[in-house]
Amino acid sequence: MTTPAGSADTNIPQNGPSAFDAHRPPERELLDDCVHCGFCLPTCPTYQLWGEEMDSPRGRIYLMDLASKGEISLDGPFTEHIDACLGCMACVTACPSGVQYDKLLESVRPQVERNVQRDRGDRLFREAIFSLFPYRRRLRAAALPGALYQKLRTIPAVRRLAEKLPGRLAAMESLLPPVSVRAAFAQLPVFTPAVGARRGRVALLSGCVQDVFFHRVNEATVRVLAAEGYDVLVPRDQQCCGALELHAGREETALGRARRTIARFETLDVDTVVTNVAGCGSSMKDYGHLLSDDEAWASRATAFSGRVRDVHEVLAELEPVAPRHPFRGRVAYHDACHLGHAQKVRAQPRAVLRSIPDVELVDLPEAELCCGSAGIYNMVAPEAAGELGVRKAGNVRSVRPDVVVTANPGCLLQIGKYMAADGVPILHPVQLLDASIRGVPVPRT
Amino acid sequence: MTLHGGVRQAFERVLDPADVLSDPVKCRAYECDGLTGYRVCPDLVLLPRDAAQVAAAVRVCHEHKVPFVARGAGTGLSGGALPVADGVVISLARLKRVLEVDPANRRAVVEPGVTNLEITAAAAPHGLYYAPDPSSQQVCTIGGNVAENSGGAHCLKYGFTTNHVLSCEVVLPDGSVVTLGTDTGEQAGPDLRGVFLGSEGTLGITTSITVRLLRTPESVRTLLADFPSVAAAGDVVSDIVAAGIVPAAVEMMDTLAIEAAEEAVHAGYTVGVPAALVVELDGPVEECDAQFEQVKAICEKHGCTRLHIAGSVEERAKIWKGRKAAFAAVGRISPDYFVQDGVVPRTRLAEVLDRIAGMGTDAGLRVANVFHAGDGNLHPLVLYSAAAGETERAERLSGEIAELCVEMGGSLSGEHGIGTDKACSMPKMFSEDDLAVMARVQAAFDPHNLCNPGKVLPTPRLCGERPGKYRAHPLEESGVIERL
Amino acid sequence: MTTTTTLRPTDLAEVRDAVRDTPGRLAVAGAGTAAGWAGELGAVDAVLDLAGLTGVITHNPGDMTVSAHAGTPLRALTEELAEHGQHVSLDAARIADGATLGGLLATADSGPSSLVYGTLRDLVIGVTVVLADGTVARSGGHVIKNVAGYDLAKLLHGSYGTLGVLAEVVLRLHPVPKRTATLVVDAPLARAAELAARVLEGPFEPVALEWTSDGRLLVRIEGTDEALPARVARLQEVLGAGATTPEGDPWTRHAELTRGAPDAAVLRIGARPSLLPALVSELAPDAATAGLGTGVATVSLPPDAVADAHTRVHAAGGTSQLRSRPVGADAPAWGPPPSALAVLRAVKTALDPDGRFGPGRFSPWM
Repeated sequence: MTTPAGSADTNIPQNGPSAFDAHRPPERELLDDCVHCGFCLPTCPTYQLWGEEMDSPRGRIYLMDLASKGEISLDGPFTEHIDACLGCMACVTACPSGVQYDKLLESVRPQVERNVQRDRGDRLFREAIFSLFPYRRRLRAAALPGALYQKLRTIPAVRRLAEKLPGRLAAMESLLPPVSVRAAFAQLPVFTPAVGARRGRVALLSGCVQDVFFHRVNEATVRVLAAEGYDVLVPRDQQCCGALELHAGREETALGRARRTIARFETLDVDTVVTNVAGCGSSMKDYGHLLSDDEAWASRATAFSGRVRDVHEVLAELEPVAPRHPFRGRVAYHDACHLGHAQKVRAQPRAVLRSIPDVELVDLPEAELCCGSAGIYNMVAPEAAGELGVRKAGNVRSVRPDVVVTANPGCLLQIGKYMAADGVPILHPVQLLDASIRGVPVPRT
Repeated sequence: MTLHGGVRQAFERVLDPADVLSDPVKCRAYECDGLTGYRVCPDLVLLPRDAAQVAAAVRVCHEHKVPFVARGAGTGLSGGALPVADGVVISLARLKRVLEVDPANRRAVVEPGVTNLEITAAAAPHGLYYAPDPSSQQVCTIGGNVAENSGGAHCLKYGFTTNHVLSCEVVLPDGSVVTLGTDTGEQAGPDLRGVFLGSEGTLGITTSITVRLLRTPESVRTLLADFPSVAAAGDVVSDIVAAGIVPAAVEMMDTLAIEAAEEAVHAGYTVGVPAALVVELDGPVEECDAQFEQVKAICEKHGCTRLHIAGSVEERAKIWKGRKAAFAAVGRISPDYFVQDGVVPRTRLAEVLDRIAGMGTDAGLRVANVFHAGDGNLHPLVLYSAAAGETERAERLSGEIAELCVEMGGSLSGEHGIGTDKACSMPKMFSEDDLAVMARVQAAFDPHNLCNPGKVLPTPRLCGERPGKYRAHPLEESGVIERL
Repeated sequence: MTTTTTLRPTDLAEVRDAVRDTPGRLAVAGAGTAAGWAGELGAVDAVLDLAGLTGVITHNPGDMTVSAHAGTPLRALTEELAEHGQHVSLDAARIADGATLGGLLATADSGPSSLVYGTLRDLVIGVTVVLADGTVARSGGHVIKNVAGYDLAKLLHGSYGTLGVLAEVVLRLHPVPKRTATLVVDAPLARAAELAARVLEGPFEPVALEWTSDGRLLVRIEGTDEALPARVARLQEVLGAGATTPEGDPWTRHAELTRGAPDAAVLRIGARPSLLPALVSELAPDAATAGLGTGVATVSLPPDAVADAHTRVHAAGGTSQLRSRPVGADAPAWGPPPSALAVLRAVKTALDPDGRFGPGRFSPWM
C-alpha cells in the first residue's frame, strides 16, 4: 500500500515523439521544476481574467509538458493559450520552486511561430506590426497624421493589411500616441559630458517607440545621467534591440537584431550599456542566454549582457551627487513587468524616487498584476488588454496619486489610455528626477 | 464510453456554451490537482459564473446521472479534485466575489472561488481578518478550504476552517439548494454544516460561505530560534504548553527544510542548523509581552543557538514567507519529492521523528521535515529522483510514514485530506464498521454517488476487493479504546 | 400502556448490547438536566440511562486532549483536569447541575465563553457512537488536528439522542487561565449593546460579553497575573466609571437567569449579534441573558408566547429552540424547518431507519 503525496514529476509517459522541433525545445528539467502548486495563479493576468486552468502559468506549463511528451500537438488550443500569455513573468516572481517560465516561454513561442500556421488575418496583422515597430524611421512617419494610410502603404506588409483588414490597421493606428512632429524627429546628442567630476561612462540605448514617442524621456535620461556624473554616449546608428520580436517568438529576426546591437555597442569604451525601457533591458540582459549555442556570438553576447543595466540600477548604485529640489506629492510607482518580474529591479527605482526630497512614494494594490500593455499584446488581444488596463487604472486611482511613474513606454501608453480623463501626469521616473534636479515644474506628459 | 452530445447540449442550455469546455486538450489541463501523480481527464469542464449556474449544472448532472467534481484553485495535495472518467469538472474559479463584509457582526459572505487571503484583504480595512491560514493561502480558495477543513500555522490557537465557517449555501447532489449552518454558533438540530465541512467535495458544492472574522490582534510577537537538535526544539514546545501558554503558532523546520526555504526566499534562516522554531504570540500587548519573555527564557533554557526576534512587520512577513514557501521550495534541493501529511499526539513528536529518520536511512532517501509542532501535524517531505529510479522507494517510504502516524495514535491526515491518495489507507485508521457508517452518511447526501465519487472512502475499484486489512489500533492494544 | 425498562450500561459493550438486544424505541438519559428540552419525548420501550457510563479513559496532559465516557459529568471531569491546570472550555449553565458530556454534546449546549472557545462542536475531536442496529462506530480521533473521514461528531452535536447513543467523547483541552476578571456595568440592553460594540472594536479580547435582564453587562477577560490588572484598567476606561469588579461571582446569577424561571418556557435563540438586542426587546422576556458578541440569547417567556417568538426570531434570520417549560405546557419546540430538512431526514433514515431513537425530539420536522 503506497500513498504518494505531492511530487514534482508528473510522470506522464513519453507516448510519442515530442510535438516540438529539435531547435531549442523547452528543456525537460525546466518543465519538471514545476510542482503544480498553483502559487502562480493569483498573479497571472489571464487567470485573473478568465479563471481557466489553460490560461494560467501552471496550465501552460502542463500543456508544454503534454506537447513534449507527444500527447498533444502545437496547433489549436496549445497555440491559443500560449498566445494568450502576456509574458509579464509575474509567475516567475511568485514561484517558490524557481520555475523559469521566462525561459520556457522563450523557447516555446518560436516553436509556435515556426510550426503552426496562423490564420490569414492574424498573419497579416503580425506582419504589419513587425514591419513597423522595430523601425524608428517608419515610426516617425507613422507619427505624422494619416501617415499609415499614405506613406506607410509603401511598406508591403502594411499595404496588405490595409487592403485586407482595414479595421485592424485603424485599431493599430489608434494605439499610437499623439506626438509632435518636432519631438518625433528630434535627435539626442551623440556625446554628453558628465557634469562635474566624472563617475563613469555609459552608452544609452535610445529605443524605437521610446525615441519617437517618448523622446522627452530619453532627453531627461541623458540630462540626469550627466548630472549624476556620467559621460553619456548615444550612438546614432543604433537599431532596434529585438525585444518586441523576441517576446513574440520571432526568434530569427530578433537574434539578428541582437547581434547588430551587440556589434554596435561592444566597440564603445563604456562601463555600462544603459536603457530606460524595461522591455529592452530584459531582452538585452538575456542575449547571453539566447545566443549561447551560437559559437561565433556566445561569448560576445554574454559580455554584452553583463554590461547592460537599467537606468535605475545605475542611478541607485552610487550616492546621488546632483542637488534635488523637493517635490511635494504622492507618487505612485507602477512596476513594469519587464523591470520588476523579468529583471527583478524593484528596489532601485523606489530608491531613486526617494532621493527626491518630500516625495511620498506609494505602492499599488495588485502591484504584481500586468497593466495589459505587454509588448504587442494590446494590439493582438485588445479585449483582454483593455480589461487589465481598466483594472490597473482602478488600482492606481485607489491610492490617489499626484503623479504616476513607470519605466516602460508600453505601460505609459496603456495606463495613459485608461487614465486619460484623470488628469494625473503619467511619467517615466527619470522625468520626475530630471525636474527635481533642474528645479523645474513636473511635466504633464 | 464518453458523455453523449445530448448531455453537453444540456449543459450548454444552462451555461454559456463558451463556458462548457469539451476540447480534450483544454480538458487535460484539469486532469490533476496539486497531486500530479493521479490524472484522469474529464469529459467536460464547466465554468459557471454564479451560484444559479452551479445549481443548474448539478441538476443536469443529476438528471443524466453524470458524476461531477468541483474544483477551486486545484492546489489540493490529496487528489481531492481528481476528475472522474466520463464525468465533468465544475470549476468554481469564476465565483470569486466577496458578497458582504459585515464589520459589526465580524463576518463576511464570500463565493467559493475567493482565495483565503482575499478574505483577509477584504476584512483588513475594518481591523478584522480571517484566521485559518493554510500555507497556500494566497492561492487556495475558501471553497476548497471548506471541502478540506483546511488548517494552517495559526490553527493551534484559533482552530480550523470548521471553527470559522458559520454557514454555507450548498448545492446538494440532486441540484437542490440549502443552507447548512446558521448566523451564529447556535444551531437547531444536528450540525449538518459540521459534517459538510471537510467532506472533501463529496456531499455537495458550496456556492456561498459565511465566515467569522476576528479582530486583528493588538500585538504580535514572532521569534525564530535555532536549536542544536530537533529534540531540544521539541522540548521547548512541551515547556511552552506546560506553562499554559497557547501560542498563535509554533512551527518547526529541520535542516533540509531550512536549506530549501532559505534558498527560495532568503528569509534569514540559519542554513546548517539542525532545527529552527518559529513561535508567534498574539493578543493584548500586556499579555503578549509577558508571555513572550517566558517563551524566550524557555528557548534559552534548551540551548537555543540563535534567537532572532522580528523587529518589524516586514521581518515577520519574511519569517513566515520562508516557512510557507518551504514545501514548494524543496523543489530547489531535490528533483522530486513527496509531501506527506500526518498527525501524531504532540508528545510523541520526538519519537516519531527519530523513527522517520531511521526509516529514511534504511530507504537510502533524505526526508525533510516541516511541521506544525504545536499540534503534532507533520509534513515529512521525502526527497528522491525519478530519473535515478527512486520513485517507488520514495512512495513506499512516504506511505509508511503516514501509517506510522496512525500507529502512534494519530491520524492519516491533519489538513491535506484523504482524497484519492489515502482512501485505501483509511482501513488502517478506521474499522469496517466506522467506514460503513461514514458511507451511510455520504449516501444520505448523495444517494446516486455522483458527487466527487471515489474520494475519502476506500472503494474496491481503487483499492481491490478487500482494501488493506484493519490492524489492532495501538490505542486499542493499550486499552485506551476498545474494539468490539 | 407500555412499561418502560431502564437499562444502565457501564461500558461500551453493555451500551452496544443494550441497544442490540432491547427491541423497540429507546431514549437516552444522562443526568437529566435537559430531559425536557427540545420536542417532547414520545413513548419509548426502554431508557438507556448512561449515568453509570463514567470516567476518564485517557488523559495525556502534554497533548491537551482527554477522552471520557459519555455519562461523565463535566463537573467531575473539570475537577480531575484541574490538577493539571487544564479544562474543557465550556461554561454552560447546567454544568453545575451535573450535566454529562454526552448530554451537553447532544443538546448543543454552550455558555458565555463560546464567544472565544465556541461550543462543544468546536471542542470535540472524536466520538464513539452506538447506532440503532448495534453498530459501534468511531469518528475523529485523539489528536486535535485531523481531517481523516467524515466528522460524525458534528452530526451528533445537537442531535438530542435521535441519531445514535454517544458512548465516548474525545475533547481538546485548554489551559485554565492564570487569572480571570469580570467587569460589571449597570446598563439597559440598548446601552449595554453600545458598550459591547465598543469593547469588540477594541483590543480587549473579551472571553464573554453578556447582558442579563437584571440590567447588567458582564465582561469577562482572561490572562496572566502580570498582564491582567493593566487590561482591566484599560477596559474600565471604555466601560466608564460605573464599571466595577464585584465581590462574589456574577456568573452564578447569569446561570440562574439562563436556566430560566420554573414556570416559564425557556427559548434559546441565535441571531446576528447586531440584531439580537432588538429581537430580545421585542420578545419582552421575563428573564433573559444575551450574548452581545455571540448573538445567542436565552429568554424566559410565557408558554403561549413561544410560537410567536419562533416566528419573530426566524423573521430576523435567526434560529430558535425550546428548552425547559412547565409540565404540560403546549408550546412548539421548534420553529420553521431548516432548508436542509430533506437531508436531515435522509441522515436520520440512514442511521436509524426504524426511528428507534428519541421519538418526538424533532417533532414536527421528523
